[in-house]
Amino acid sequence: MAYRKMPAWLRGLRSGLVFSLYVFMILVWAFPVIWVILTSLKTRTEIFTLPPTIFFKPTIEHYIEVLLAQDILRGIINSLLVACGTTLFTLLIAVPAGYAFSRIRFPFRGRLSFFALLAQMAPPIGLIIPCFLILSRLRMLDTYGGLIAVHMTLTVPFSIWLMITYFQDLPPSLEEAALVDGVSPFNTFLKVVLPNVWGGVGVTAIFAFIESWNEFLYAVVLTGSKTKTAPVAIFGFLAAEESRWGPFTATGVMIMAPVIMVALVAQRQIVKGMTMGATKG
Amino acid sequence: MFKGGGEKKRLRPSYIRQQERFGFAMITPSMLFLFIMAAFPLIMLVGMSGFRIDLTYPAGNRWLGVSNYLQMVHDSRFMHALKVTAIYTVSTVFLQVVTGLALAMTFFRSFRGQGFLRVSVLLPMILAPVVVGLAFRTMIMTPQYGILDYIFMVLGFGSKPWLVDPQWALFSVIIIHTWQWTPFAFLVFLASLNALPADPLEAALMDARNSWQRFWHVILPMIRPAVVIVLIFRTMIALRAFAAIFSATGGGPGTATEILNLYTYRESFNSLNLGYGAALGTALLVITVVISMIFFRMRQSRM
Repeated sequence: MAYRKMPAWLRGLRSGLVFSLYVFMILVWAFPVIWVILTSLKTRTEIFTLPPTIFFKPTIEHYIEVLLAQDILRGIINSLLVACGTTLFTLLIAVPAGYAFSRIRFPFRGRLSFFALLAQMAPPIGLIIPCFLILSRLRMLDTYGGLIAVHMTLTVPFSIWLMITYFQDLPPSLEEAALVDGVSPFNTFLKVVLPNVWGGVGVTAIFAFIESWNEFLYAVVLTGSKTKTAPVAIFGFLAAEESRWGPFTATGVMIMAPVIMVALVAQRQIVKGMTMGATKG
Repeated sequence: MFKGGGEKKRLRPSYIRQQERFGFAMITPSMLFLFIMAAFPLIMLVGMSGFRIDLTYPAGNRWLGVSNYLQMVHDSRFMHALKVTAIYTVSTVFLQVVTGLALAMTFFRSFRGQGFLRVSVLLPMILAPVVVGLAFRTMIMTPQYGILDYIFMVLGFGSKPWLVDPQWALFSVIIIHTWQWTPFAFLVFLASLNALPADPLEAALMDARNSWQRFWHVILPMIRPAVVIVLIFRTMIALRAFAAIFSATGGGPGTATEILNLYTYRESFNSLNLGYGAALGTALLVITVVISMIFFRMRQSRM
């Protein structure tokens, strides 16, 4: 152990410094989020009080105002529909592809999986210009289906790659017994393999949901009054009037709440999924 | 069931054919989808860049050949957007890698209260960029009432024109992006440091004379693959940045923070000049492809 050579006072100083850095990091990264939550619970005068207050009498007036304004509530419902639809259809096509790419031998396997990787790199602004034209010709602007299809261009490539890494972790002998017994490959996948990767499917679903739930560029181009999602709706607030911080933060909290709750519950799995591809190289 | 283990391994041709058919069947839906929704639109994008497509005056739409590109070369706003994109991408990626690596080195081994820190650093990454951009624009960077500006005043640095002054605005959007995404680099580096084999690491660390040598000659070569991956991921994401800048500054003041994505968006969906927008989009596509090719080479040669 290299650090053992240090004298005790130096080690003490070192852990003291590490601890203050630890606190500082939490402040830097968590504080803006906490500050948004606190502001959403303040009255308008309290928000613009200097010095800023940390302890105050909370109010939910902004939440009520926001929920009564049809726009935001509708945006949240739209976001929920789009994100759930995107997640569901992504899993339906990406999980089988991830399985085939990782465990079945077939020609052009390497090239096709590379194509999925390339699709991930397509610049969104370059994709949305032709997609806008196509969807307007098909009369699919401002429809859930159109937005879900375009959101899936973001989620399908990384879902395939994430699922490949989860399938690769399974023992190679898993399918053998079933195949020897004459079970069809598809049933083997469905009944033998899939039950072993539900955790991975769950993490993939979380990533796909968050991606679609937070997405702004495609939504702002493709949606109108009918299917406007929450990130587009919240933008309308401050475009109209800069100082409506109360309703803005209340809406922000409602947009953040589902992903924060998921993150609290599944933080280990999310971090593992995020870093897995990178650490395996 | 069969006689020996060796017997099982020999694959029958009918089995191989069945596997191939099954493999293709499993990938067809997603490959078809990606072809229709990603590959085809990108081909169409390149095609569109040869036309004049003005949604406000459809009668004037016609084939232009390369003149959109000729216009682009003489377009000072495009050149400016290129410059801003380069500054934004290089500085955000650099800051993320350096800060992430420094923090990971600090917390590697002397890491207590993992869960709490992990949740805090996870938070920014899962937030909607549009909410992040708007929050920074209002409650964090507004002069006097924004909490960051308030802290600066209390500390005696004075109020700063975070998003109002052109140079400060570019600095601020770089800080916002770095704030949101440094946790990714930190977590990846921490994970790869923790995954290093303990014994060779200990032996090498004993040999190294000081901590700088330990880092430069022992640890950095070992986690080089992770550094390259983070570079690739973060560069690609920085080149896709849109919502946070769009909501924090809208590309302004003036065009101070107008990266190529924002210029392309404004040209296509504010001016409704889709042909020239497609040419700008194609330029972005070419830049992305060239950079990712360089990265792929880098990865293959180093690993």
